[in-house]
Amino acid sequence: MSGSNAAAGTSNGGSGDAGGAARRNRMPKYSKFTQQELPACKPILTPKWVVSVFFLVGVIFVPIGVVSLLAARDVVEIVDRYDEACVPGNMTENKLAYIQNSTISKTAQGLSRYVKSRNDAQLRDAKKANQTSACEPERTTADGKPIVPCGLIAWSLFNDTYSFTRGNENLTVDKKDISWKSDREHKFGKDVFPSNFQNGSLIGGAKLNPDIPLSDQEDLIVWMRTAALPTFRKLYGRIYVDLKENDTITVNLLNNYNTYSFGGKKKLVLSTATWLGGKNSFLGYAYLSVEIDVLCIGFTCKLQDLV
Amino acid sequence: MASERPLLTITPGASTPDEAPSPRPPAASQLPPAQPEPPLRPDRLAFSVEVPDPFCPSRRGDGPDPSASSQREREDDGDGGESRAVTIGDPLTSEAFPGNSIRTAKYSVLTFLPRNLFEQFRRLSYIYFLVITVLNQLPQVAVFGRGASVLPLAFVLFVTAVKDAYEDFRRHRSDRQENNRLASVLVPGTDSEFQPKKWKKIRVGDVVRMASSETLPADMVLLATSDPSGVAHVQTVNLDGETNLKTRYAKQETQVRFSQNGSIGGVLHCERPNRNIYGFQANLEIDDNRVSLGPSNIVLRGCELKNTTWAIGVVVYAGKETKVMLNNSGAPSKRSRLETQLNRETVILSIMLIGMCTTASVLAGIWVLNHRGELEFTQFFREKDYTTGKNYNYYGVGMQIFITFLMAVIVYQVIIPISLYISMELVRLGQAYFMGADKDLYDESSRSKFQCRALNINEDLGQIRYVFSDKTGTLTENKMEFQCTSIHGVDYSCGKDTDRYSVVVGDHLWTPKMAVKIDPQLVKLLRNGGTNKEAKLVLEFFIALAACNTIVPLVLNTRDHKQKLIDYQGESPDEQALAYAAASYGIVLVERTSGYIVIDVLGDRQRFDILGLHEFDSDRKRMSVIVGCPDQTVKLYVKDKLQNGVPEAIESLRQADIKVWILTGDKQETAISIGYSYGTSLVYILETELQEELFELATQCSVVLCCRVAPLQKAGIVALIKNRTDDMTLAIGDGANDVSMIQMADVGVGISGQEGRQAVMASDFSMGQFRFLVPLLYVLYTAFTLTTAITEWSSLLYTVLYTSLPTIVIGILDKDLSKATVLAYPKLYGSGQRDEKYNVNMFVLNMLEALWQSLVVFYIPYFAYKQSTIDISSLGDLWALAPVIVVNIQLAMDIIRWNWIIHAFVWGTVSATTICLFVIDSIWVLPGYG
Repeated sequence: MSGSNAAAGTSNGGSGDAGGAARRNRMPKYSKFTQQELPACKPILTPKWVVSVFFLVGVIFVPIGVVSLLAARDVVEIVDRYDEACVPGNMTENKLAYIQNSTISKTAQGLSRYVKSRNDAQLRDAKKANQTSACEPERTTADGKPIVPCGLIAWSLFNDTYSFTRGNENLTVDKKDISWKSDREHKFGKDVFPSNFQNGSLIGGAKLNPDIPLSDQEDLIVWMRTAALPTFRKLYGRIYVDLKENDTITVNLLNNYNTYSFGGKKKLVLSTATWLGGKNSFLGYAYLSVEIDVLCIGFTCKLQDLV
Repeated sequence: MASERPLLTITPGASTPDEAPSPRPPAASQLPPAQPEPPLRPDRLAFSVEVPDPFCPSRRGDGPDPSASSQREREDDGDGGESRAVTIGDPLTSEAFPGNSIRTAKYSVLTFLPRNLFEQFRRLSYIYFLVITVLNQLPQVAVFGRGASVLPLAFVLFVTAVKDAYEDFRRHRSDRQENNRLASVLVPGTDSEFQPKKWKKIRVGDVVRMASSETLPADMVLLATSDPSGVAHVQTVNLDGETNLKTRYAKQETQVRFSQNGSIGGVLHCERPNRNIYGFQANLEIDDNRVSLGPSNIVLRGCELKNTTWAIGVVVYAGKETKVMLNNSGAPSKRSRLETQLNRETVILSIMLIGMCTTASVLAGIWVLNHRGELEFTQFFREKDYTTGKNYNYYGVGMQIFITFLMAVIVYQVIIPISLYISMELVRLGQAYFMGADKDLYDESSRSKFQCRALNINEDLGQIRYVFSDKTGTLTENKMEFQCTSIHGVDYSCGKDTDRYSVVVGDHLWTPKMAVKIDPQLVKLLRNGGTNKEAKLVLEFFIALAACNTIVPLVLNTRDHKQKLIDYQGESPDEQALAYAAASYGIVLVERTSGYIVIDVLGDRQRFDILGLHEFDSDRKRMSVIVGCPDQTVKLYVKDKLQNGVPEAIESLRQADIKVWILTGDKQETAISIGYSYGTSLVYILETELQEELFELATQCSVVLCCRVAPLQKAGIVALIKNRTDDMTLAIGDGANDVSMIQMADVGVGISGQEGRQAVMASDFSMGQFRFLVPLLYVLYTAFTLTTAITEWSSLLYTVLYTSLPTIVIGILDKDLSKATVLAYPKLYGSGQRDEKYNVNMFVLNMLEALWQSLVVFYIPYFAYKQSTIDISSLGDLWALAPVIVVNIQLAMDIIRWNWIIHAFVWGTVSATTICLFVIDSIWVLPGYG
């Protein structure tokens, strides 16, 4: 790394004192930063300190865990797999119900050839209908017209439908506002209409009404927000009718969507809505187990410290 | 003199020969017959240390290496065809020998790109990144955007290339300056017509005339000098680091012939170019006589002619064959141990990566095989593109497995993060800045602060086991002071007041350059024109001090016309100290030629003719001079002045179990006296023939002293330790003679002291004084914790990417993190505490910890959101944020001292990442928008 070399150095060798006065003062300036003398605290992990932290964490986690568990217990959730035997039997519900369908444990929605097969510009802007890059193998029709919405994700749109009756009474399923508001407003254009969609020789899933703009095709919007995990749930709609205990609800469904080809499963989920989201006691148990662990360690440390 | 040689034309630019009317030089017969040609410190030629020469492949062997001297003999005894013949004044016959241009630059404009890239790609991980980048360019495999994947590697390569280019540009510039310097060279064919010639044009056989204070362009045999006896003084500070003047001689045969004819012809046979600075064997055929030439007849490139008005020599070795260039073993690129380890771990990680990818592709293969028939209809796979009828990115099962493998490689590549290297660079840069800015490492007297000249080995400072030190000027400041004296049994301690004694010469006032503390009692004794015996003894003592040496007084001009400074130049600092001491007491050495000396004794100028001179040697431990006045012998007691804090530093190093070896080219006595001054240290003078024994014995000792070590032997000793142990070595020195040693050691430290700045240029670090070594070493123990954090983080990132998050999130994430790590280090640096070595066990432990953390980071959100409608980008954000928090908490646990900057950066990173995620998610062009 030497900038000079042995021989070059000879030119400046020798007279050390002559240049001494001329040399500028290179004394580093004093500041607390450069001298690394900034006020600093030096926490030392004493047993007392560690034990108190453990106890503190334990105490904080108790209410969180308990509340989560209680909330999860309040959620009423009925899950039934219907792709094997089609329609399930009776369900009892109360309060407001969400309908979710949970598709398939074996989907490869995370597969990159699938996830990337879409074009967001086309969905947003009517003028960019021709932008179908990355949409293979659903880019254009055989005669070269662009497909809107293009790509495998849209093409494989879920198309099972459900209707619910209690006795003779039809339960209206509200399919408004099941998608993200920001998606409707910004990602899917109000002036973008489906065209050439699902016209090919192979039908992947649902067809779209070409007279409704994409921003109102909420099933599509929900579907296009790809899931993170192979087993996923998608919101189908809401029932704003209080369901009572022992009510019998009949579900009529059209089993259109083909999951048999890849061995996937389809389930219908009826659930009440709480702040926790769904019936999931994992978080509650996780908090409680961490809390118990931490308290145990804390006590052990405390005991060792005392002994 | 000029009148006697009218043919000598003076060329412009060259300084005129001294025409001062000096008395006719004594004829050769008048010189002391015993020493017509005093050998140049013959003791220098005896080497007693046997070391393997790492640069000479022919000497590599299992058996003990022959000594340097015996090797030289062997070479000389060998076939005569290996010597070279040089015709004096006729460079044309020596066309075959290389010219005098030197080249230290690595690249030319054309070769820069390929060579620099080649050197950069010697880093294993760069090749890895290159492969990843290339893979990502394949359309079937591409996971990330093409441009995005090129950027990081291109950035790193570009920054390094710019840095290298700048360094090489500076080397080019200094090469050019060096090559274009002018020297006055005899025009071939003419008798004495000298013309300025560029150094690079000088060839072997050219006759060059040098003036005082000129730097010599090549290795030359002296033919004649301005001194009638043929003496020339040279300063070899750039060669062996010694500031004192050395005397070289032109042979009487050539000297006389030159003064008679004004020109010299003849053929010179000399040995092949070699590295031995203190050895030279040749003979000169002149007038059918054979004159043998030795090391005292050659002056080497890089030396400066001093105190000699002019000298004429013939070039025997030029350019890269000069001894100084041969000794400049070239800076081998040093790698820090950490980097070596990193390279190894890169290999381990690569194997893990291949394992992971194989698993992934095999699983994918099984799935594809099982669903072979259904692939065509599966919504999520869709084998065919029905509009074209062709397969859509599907090339059969085998190919599918292969492509899955490649894609997995790209997805999992982050297991070895390129940003690790970027952040390492930045950390080092920061460390270098703080080292330079540290007031504790600033040397007041030389106004030099700590310089970090090679960034890549900072971490190694924390692992030093062996310290190799040069004695001269490193441990000692190379300054001696007259402290006290004992004259005829009477002790005189030094006084407090310093007083300069000046001599009036004509209308000028001559003052010695250095003032010495004087004892008023002694002054009184001297000034009162002592008639008693005591005063007489004291006077004689000081005259002896002034006379009995090889000091050459140089008269320097000052700003004041009337004032002149006398600078005493001599072979050893003790002589200088004594001469200055005598001068302070009023006995001023004013002039010295080979025949007489002039001493101003209390205002009375006296001339002493030198009748005989016996130089100092270690057996007699005294020096004698027979002058026209009474004979004097003086025994000297002067202690070398140790640099501030050196014993403490060495003691402290020993406590840290760091072994200190002191390698010196100096006299044994000085070395031993320094050795004793450490008190308990063990002194061992190396005289063994067997390096095996040397090694075994020496490794038992905590302090080892080696004397009379040539530059390359110094390097050899360092290489010996380096090859035989795994321990880290550090070499510290200040002279050009330490350059090879500094370059050989794992860490080289140059001291910008008295002996020029050669060592500084070659070193990795430079500092003002030896004692700065201690804080430097201790303070840097902590550099390792950084890497552990980074390695973990890399594994965590792997988890993040495992879920194939959008690249951009990663990009921002990793930027934040490197910033955090960089700025988290001041505490690491400042804490000054020791840390355990970053070794393989630590690595495995870290990997396991990282694995656990990544499992937690992955599965807690996974289970928490398992039965929800969460989409990939929301969960991805969570997965991106979690490791950032984990890593920062991990880092926080490693931090020992918290100050507000660290607080700001650790917590700032967490919040910055959160903010970044929000920003990314609210920009509608990005897929994560929502």
